[in-house]
Amino acid sequence: MKTITFKQKKTSSIALEFDELIPDEIYTWGESDFNKYEVPIGNSRFPLTDYFDIKVEGEAESPDEVKMIINGDLNRVKYIGCKMSGGEILCNSSVDLHVGAEMSGGTIIVDGNAAAHAGREMSGGYLEIKGNTKEFTGASYIGEWRGMTGGEIIVHGNAGKQCGECLSGGKITVLGNCDILAGIHMSKGVMEIQGDVNRWPGGQMKNGTIVINGKLGRLLEGFVFDEVVDNPDIEGKVYDGRFIKYTGDIGLNGKGTLLINADVNRDKLGEYGESDDEYTSIREYRNL
Amino acid sequence: MEYILKNGIVYDPANKVNGEKKDVMFKDGKIVEKVSSDAKVLDVTDKIVMPAGVDPHSHVAGPKLVVGRLYRPEDSRKGVTQKTNLLRGESGFSIPSCPTTGYRYSRLGYGTVVEAAMPPLEAKHTHDEIATIPNIDIPALPLFGNNWFVLEFAREGKIDELAAFISAWLKISKGYGVKIVNPCGSEAWGWGMNVHGINDKAPYFDVTSKEVIRALAKANEKLGLPHSIHIHPNDLGHPGNVPTTLETFESVKDIDKNAAVRNQNLHCCHLQFHSYSGNSWKDASSGAEEVAKYVNKADNITCDVGQVTFDETTTMTADAPMEYDLFKLSGLKWVNKDIECETAAGIIPIIYSPKSPVNTLQWAIGLELFLHIDDPWKVCLTTDHPNAGPFIRYPRIISWLMSNERRMEMIDNEVHKWVHSRTTLPTLDREYDFYDIATITRAAPAKIHGFSDRGELTPGYNADIAVYDINPNDIDPSKEHELIEKKFGLTDYTIKDGEILVKDKEIVKVKESSTIWTNVKGYEEEEKAVIEGIMPFFNQYYSIKWENYPVHDHYLSNPIRVDVEASK
Repeated sequence: MKTITFKQKKTSSIALEFDELIPDEIYTWGESDFNKYEVPIGNSRFPLTDYFDIKVEGEAESPDEVKMIINGDLNRVKYIGCKMSGGEILCNSSVDLHVGAEMSGGTIIVDGNAAAHAGREMSGGYLEIKGNTKEFTGASYIGEWRGMTGGEIIVHGNAGKQCGECLSGGKITVLGNCDILAGIHMSKGVMEIQGDVNRWPGGQMKNGTIVINGKLGRLLEGFVFDEVVDNPDIEGKVYDGRFIKYTGDIGLNGKGTLLINADVNRDKLGEYGESDDEYTSIREYRNL
Repeated sequence: MEYILKNGIVYDPANKVNGEKKDVMFKDGKIVEKVSSDAKVLDVTDKIVMPAGVDPHSHVAGPKLVVGRLYRPEDSRKGVTQKTNLLRGESGFSIPSCPTTGYRYSRLGYGTVVEAAMPPLEAKHTHDEIATIPNIDIPALPLFGNNWFVLEFAREGKIDELAAFISAWLKISKGYGVKIVNPCGSEAWGWGMNVHGINDKAPYFDVTSKEVIRALAKANEKLGLPHSIHIHPNDLGHPGNVPTTLETFESVKDIDKNAAVRNQNLHCCHLQFHSYSGNSWKDASSGAEEVAKYVNKADNITCDVGQVTFDETTTMTADAPMEYDLFKLSGLKWVNKDIECETAAGIIPIIYSPKSPVNTLQWAIGLELFLHIDDPWKVCLTTDHPNAGPFIRYPRIISWLMSNERRMEMIDNEVHKWVHSRTTLPTLDREYDFYDIATITRAAPAKIHGFSDRGELTPGYNADIAVYDINPNDIDPSKEHELIEKKFGLTDYTIKDGEILVKDKEIVKVKESSTIWTNVKGYEEEEKAVIEGIMPFFNQYYSIKWENYPVHDHYLSNPIRVDVEASK
C-alpha cells in the first residue's frame, strides 16, 4: 500500500489541473518524480512543488494499492481523479470542476463541496461528496447523449441543476434537495433523491427509475399516473412508505418510472395536479 | 529551389508508370525533366512515390461544418493534441477544426480536396473557411440542383440562359463546377416533402428532376467546363433506389461531352448510397452489381464510392429530407437549415456499427462497387467525408481493397451475417495493386475534375508529390494489411507546389491554401442580360442585397483561376 500525502503550500487564482495525477499514472512515482513534475495551470505548466509538499510512504504494484490524501484549499483544483480506474483519493476540502469525471473504478471521497460536472460520464467506481454539488452531477458533457454508465455517486448535501442528465447506468443518491431537471434524458439506472425536488424531474426520460422522498414541485405533462405502491423495491433496495408511481415521458414513448412519496405529496393524490395553480394553468392553456 | 527524389518506386498512372525505379525532379514548384547538379537530393530509395492525392468529394469547409461543430461539441473532444511551435492544437474526429483538416490531409499525402457542396448564398463563408485550412488546395462546387432560377430555366428549356446563369454564378461564388444534390427534392423539403424517382415534380415549379439534370448537363457541356455535372441523385439511402440511379445515368446518355480533359459527362458521387435494392429495410439487398454493370458499359459515367468505415461520424448534406428520414430512424439530435431560394441542409450524428445489418450492407455495397467496376479510372476512393466516415480512414479502405484475406476475416468474424445472404462481397476475390490504388486516389479524380496541373508527375505539372515508406517488392499487401494501413496513413514526404510540408512523418511546414475557380470567357453579354432579368425576383425574395451577394476577390487567398473559352 502506498500513501501519497499532498500538503498545500499556496493557492493559485487560476485552476491547477490534476488529470495526470491519478493512481494509474503515479503508482510507481517516488518523491523525486513529484519534485520533477510540472502541473498544468492555464496555458502553461509550473512545478507542482510550488503549490504542494508531497510525502510518499510505502510501495505499490498497481493503481489499486494507491491512496492519495490531498489536504488544503482545493477550490481551484480541477479534474481530481479524472479518468482513474483504481485506488483511492481523499480530498479534505471543497473541489473545483470535473472531480471523478470519466472514472472507471476506485474511490473518491470529497470532504466538502464539488463544483459542476462532478462524476461526469462515470463508468464505474464510487464518488462520495459530503457537501453540496453544483450543476451536472453525474451528467454527460455538453453535446454528448451518453452519460454516466456505471458506478455510484452519493451527495450528502444538495445537488444543482440537471443532476444525472442522460444517465444510462449506475446509481446517483442525493441526500439533500435537487434543483430542476434531475434525471433529464435518462435511459437506465437509478436516481434516489431524499430531499425535495424543485421542478421537472425526468424530462424526456426513456427508461430507468427516479425515487423522490421529499416534496415535488412541478411535474412535467409527459408523466401519467400509474398507481400508488407500498414499500416499493427498486433494484434490491426497499423504500418504506407509500409512493405515487408515474410512467413517462410519454412524449417520447418513454417507459421510465418516477416514484414520489405519497405522504409528503398529498396534493398530488386525489384530483391530481388541481391544487398546483401554475401546473393547472399550463394544462388549461394546452387544452385550448 | 531544385530537388531530386532519388531511387523511388514511382506509380504515376496518368503516364502509365507502374512501379518503375526512377528519379522525380522538381524546380520552383513544378515537375521538370532535369535539374542542375546543385539540386538537393532527397533519398527515397525503395519507397513508393506517387502524385499527391486528390479527393474528388469531401465536405471540409462551409456553414454546415460550422453548425456541425457547434452542435457536436462531443466530437471536438476527440483527437485533441497540444499546440506546438509550428502547429495549432488539433481537435475533432468526424468534423475536425479547419487547421486539423489541413494537417491530417497532408499527413495522408493529399494535396487537393474538392469541397463538394457550397450554397452560393454562403459562398463567402465557405471561402473564408477555405482560407483557414492550410496545406491543401480546395476548389468548391456551388449547388445548382434546387436553385429557383435553375428550376425556372429548366422548365422553360432555356439552355442558353441557363449556361449564362451558370457562368455568372461560378464567377459570383468563385466556384469550380456544377453540383446537383437531390434535384427538386431539397426544394420540396421547403414544403415538408421529398421527390421519389426522377420523374417527380418539384412542388409549384412544374419541373421534374430529370429535366433539371438534363438542362444542367446540356448547359455544362455548352460551356465546356473542366468538370462534368457532379450529381448526388434522388432517393439517397432509400432501399430500392437502383432504378432511380440508373435512370439518372440514362438521362444524360445522349448529351455529348465538350471538354478534352475528361471522358465523362456525369460524375455520380457516393454511389454506395444509391445502390440499394429491395422495397424496405426488411428486404433490402445490394444493387451494386447491377449499378456496376451499367458503369462498366457506359463511357460517360464516373463515380466515387462513399465507403462506410464503421465509425461514429456526422452526416451533413444538402439533401435535407433524407436527414429527416435518418432522424426518424435513429432519434439522435438533428439540425436542419433552409438556404432561401437555393437549397436546404441537414446534419445528424450517425454510428455505423458492424453489428448492424443495414450498416454491414452499406459497407459491403461500397466494397462491391470498387471490386465490380473493372476500370479504376471510373471510380474514386472517398468516404464522402464525413458522411460515411472521416477521411483519415482512407488507409484502412486501401487495406480492405488490397487484401481479400482481411475482407474475409471481417466477413467471417466482425460483420453481420447479411453480408452472406444479401451481397456478393464474399464471392469477390479481386485485389487492387499499388497502381490501381494510385489511380483511384490520384489520377482518376484529377482527370474527372479536369485538372490540368495536378494528379500526375508530368513535367510542367505542379510538384505535388507523396512518398510512402513502403517497398512494393518487399511487401505482400494481401497478408500484411495492417502494415499497409499504417504506412499509407503517414507519409515520409508530402510535397505541395515544390515545398516539403511533411518530412519523415512529421509536418515541417504549414502553407496557405488556395482555391481553384472557373472563369468562363465569352458569355459576358448573356450574363449581363440574365442578371438583369432575374434582378426583380432577387430583390423581392433574397434576404440580402445584390451588392453583398458576390464573393469579391479579396475574400480569396491565393486563387487559382481556370479560364475556359466557351463555344457558342
